[in-house]
Amino acid sequence: MDIKKLTVSSSPHFHSKNSVRRAMLWVLAALTPAALFAVYYYGAYVLVLLLAGIVTAVACEALILMLRKKPVSGALDGSAAVTGLLLALNVPAGAPWWLVVIGSFLAIGIGKQVFGGIGHNPFNPALAARAILVVSWPARMTDWVGPGLVSAATPLAQYRAGNVVPSYLDLFFGFRPGSLGEMSVFLLLVGGLTLIFLKIIDWKIPVSFVGTVALLTWVLPREGQTAFFAGDPLFHVLSGGLILGAFFMATDWTTSPITKRGRIVMGVGAGIITAIIRLYGGLPEGVTFAILIMNACTPLIDRFTLGKSFGSARGAS
Amino acid sequence: MNGSKVFWRGIFGENPIFRLLLGMCPALAVSIAANQGLGMGLAATAVLVASNILISLLRSVIPDKIRIPCFIVVIATFVTMVDLIMAAFVPALHEVLGIFIPLIVVNCIILQRAEAFASKNGVWRSTLDGLGMGAGFTLALVLVSSIREIFGSGTLFGLDIFWFWQSFEPMRIMVSPPGAFIVLGLLIGLINFLSVRKA
Amino acid sequence: MAKSFVGGVHPPCRKDRTHALPIERLPVPKTVVIPLSQHTGKVNAPLVAVGDRVLLGQKIGDIDAPIACPVHASVSGRVTAVEMRYHTNGREVLSIVIENDFTDELHPTVQPKNLNDMSAADVLRWLREAGIVGMGGGGFPTHAKLAPPPGGTLDTVLLNGAECEPYLTADHRVMVEWADDVILGLRCLMKAAGVKQGYIGVEVNKTDALTALRQAIAPALDIQIVPLAVKYPQGAEQQLIAACLNRTVPKGKRPVHIGVVVNNVHTAQAIAHSLRTGFPSIERVITVDGACVERPGNFLVRVGTSFADILAVCGLASEPCKLLSGGPMMGMAMHTSAVPVSKCTSGILALSRAESPAGEPMTCVRCAACIDVCPMFIYPTLIAQYGERGRLEEAEKYGALVCHECGACTYACPSHIPLMQWIRRAKSDIYARRERG
Repeated sequence: MDIKKLTVSSSPHFHSKNSVRRAMLWVLAALTPAALFAVYYYGAYVLVLLLAGIVTAVACEALILMLRKKPVSGALDGSAAVTGLLLALNVPAGAPWWLVVIGSFLAIGIGKQVFGGIGHNPFNPALAARAILVVSWPARMTDWVGPGLVSAATPLAQYRAGNVVPSYLDLFFGFRPGSLGEMSVFLLLVGGLTLIFLKIIDWKIPVSFVGTVALLTWVLPREGQTAFFAGDPLFHVLSGGLILGAFFMATDWTTSPITKRGRIVMGVGAGIITAIIRLYGGLPEGVTFAILIMNACTPLIDRFTLGKSFGSARGAS
Repeated sequence: MNGSKVFWRGIFGENPIFRLLLGMCPALAVSIAANQGLGMGLAATAVLVASNILISLLRSVIPDKIRIPCFIVVIATFVTMVDLIMAAFVPALHEVLGIFIPLIVVNCIILQRAEAFASKNGVWRSTLDGLGMGAGFTLALVLVSSIREIFGSGTLFGLDIFWFWQSFEPMRIMVSPPGAFIVLGLLIGLINFLSVRKA
Repeated sequence: MAKSFVGGVHPPCRKDRTHALPIERLPVPKTVVIPLSQHTGKVNAPLVAVGDRVLLGQKIGDIDAPIACPVHASVSGRVTAVEMRYHTNGREVLSIVIENDFTDELHPTVQPKNLNDMSAADVLRWLREAGIVGMGGGGFPTHAKLAPPPGGTLDTVLLNGAECEPYLTADHRVMVEWADDVILGLRCLMKAAGVKQGYIGVEVNKTDALTALRQAIAPALDIQIVPLAVKYPQGAEQQLIAACLNRTVPKGKRPVHIGVVVNNVHTAQAIAHSLRTGFPSIERVITVDGACVERPGNFLVRVGTSFADILAVCGLASEPCKLLSGGPMMGMAMHTSAVPVSKCTSGILALSRAESPAGEPMTCVRCAACIDVCPMFIYPTLIAQYGERGRLEEAEKYGALVCHECGACTYACPSHIPLMQWIRRAKSDIYARRERG
């Protein structure tokens, strides 16, 4: 047979099945159990919130890509859907649907596309939008409810007030008020560990993040107390948005360091900030702001944690 | 460059806020409501025009080596006048703007126009330049503060504009400092985007 | 426990079509094209002219330079042209075209040697005359590789039998079928280098090769077989040394710097063959495979046989999308099948579009997959981005010149960015600027 047309290209001529879309679909899949648990615990209304988040995010992404004259198919790469779902998972069950819609719009518009879209955003879009929502509608964003949408306080708020908190088992399996996605630590761990196994996220950030929070909340006395080494690290690890944040948001590819040591620094830094806010800050929970602050530090962390190439003498540059 | 060009470029081509990024401090700090933006803009415009005229008149008298102190003395004089006039006639607005009125003295636009334009051009052209730059500054401030007031308080110049939508819940971040950065950044980005597209 | 290195990727092996097929001798073609440069280093000058009759094994190109290696006629016949021809490196190279007269008349220099009669210096001289170069793909003249570094000595010869490239099984078959030759070649290399210890690193998916080699050595203790994990790029010099010897080649240095010489197993076999028969390096085993090839296999071919001749024998089932010289990870894509097999052509792959899909490049999402898999611990995405913008200081700072172009980064990238291509460009830009001063 005569060969007429041959493609000439630079090696390698093989490519793994890795793609952004595949990774994003896995993240969506990994979040699904925890999201469904919220639907089970609070009722079908939660499904409306989750869908509102995803649909708004994808629609906004498509619209802005169209305005920017970029291929609109980029909206279907899964990253917008992940952002929308994460945003919805970060509001309380008592939140109105429009809050999620506005949040999703802000996440894609101000959190992501104004910086140039996927790969260019300095802050985790879902968390940036959540921060805006918390500042804008503080009452709505702290409208914690229990099953049947009756008002209830989060375990962290109860803890701060010195009240009785749910048992460790209830916390672990998620039978407590909280943001939609943060409740079932068990299901979040199943999803997060799957992502680590698939090498979609690096274990270094969640492990160092959770480890630091556990260590500091055990060692340091909470506000108004003086005894060291008397904290309740297990409670702190199981409550609030720590597991959701550490596995699914601090590990966001674009906004976390690319160096191996940098990821440890990111986790430890976020852990320190979270612990300090929880123990001494004006808010009961600090995961959002901890991750956002570490996002801002990411370029610096990358710069100062550059590793040596293979064969470089130790200690030399 | 003819006179009308000198005037118009202050509003579009060289808008102090959106293109020169000068005078950001009042644009961020006193743009919570549209009337603040307008008051601040007009006060700065008055100082800008007056100081441009006087510096243009004195440009052959002022020794080059001490020109900056001379400019500052002229500007400070007008700022004090504006401050006292506002305290007398619009005390409510004066109260809200507070320290930012005296701070017009160190507003970069005014010194920059004195240095870059009034000290090198005639009185008529300097007046036009002051008016143009002042109008551009005022427009930008009104734009930023209107957006912040509409979303942050649901009003415009104090008037309730969401009368048809009683359940409107204002977006409080817009009236807090981060809102100023977000709005100003988005506007600058939008204007750059449009001008790049036009070019 | 199989040894390995840090980083790397696991591309599908795709070796099952050919790994069990015995080496087959292909018919000698009517015409051979012998490029005068089949090695790293200076291009040879032709020793024959158009119209000359040449004999099998006759030296037809040589040059007096420290890093160079002569080429020999792989058939007997008449020289019909000495001209520029496309080579597998994608460039035109001065080549000698020989019309085969099918007599295979031997040149008188083709005489068997006896290793015991030769000193180390003799072996080095003879390796050069026999045209032995690295057959793994690099093509570095073997005699030059064996020269100890100034002020240092060599202590280890390491044979590379990893063959980590997908599809390729030529080295595998050589180890299985000619294990004795591989060991003899290794002993010859050890004698030339004056070292007492030899190693052969083989990936554990080649169990029959490991068995054959072990049988061929027994009961001697001077050679050790090292089973290696199946991972790409296990066969890259630095990674092979790290895995087999637990030693690190310093940045910017070659393995000789730490007293190690790495050679391909096929090179060792070629040395042994040359020693026993007297033939210089004029033939080699190549793997022909890919979805478009009807009859894949491992073939012993004369140097200078064109890809077209080989594909005509093996048959093309469909029109290939890419024609590769070498493996899919580091091989070169050819623009024509009118290129000759050289001493360092390890395989010919006719890949279909499905086998070598071209993904649409997207923006870097900073996932750091390229950094995690890089066996040289450099920053591929940063090098690519800075290189693309002409910021060469940064590209160099992030390790551009450390890269040995294994392509693991591009393989792993979820955004389908051609990182390898950008890094190559950054490297050549850096070298070009250095030359300008």
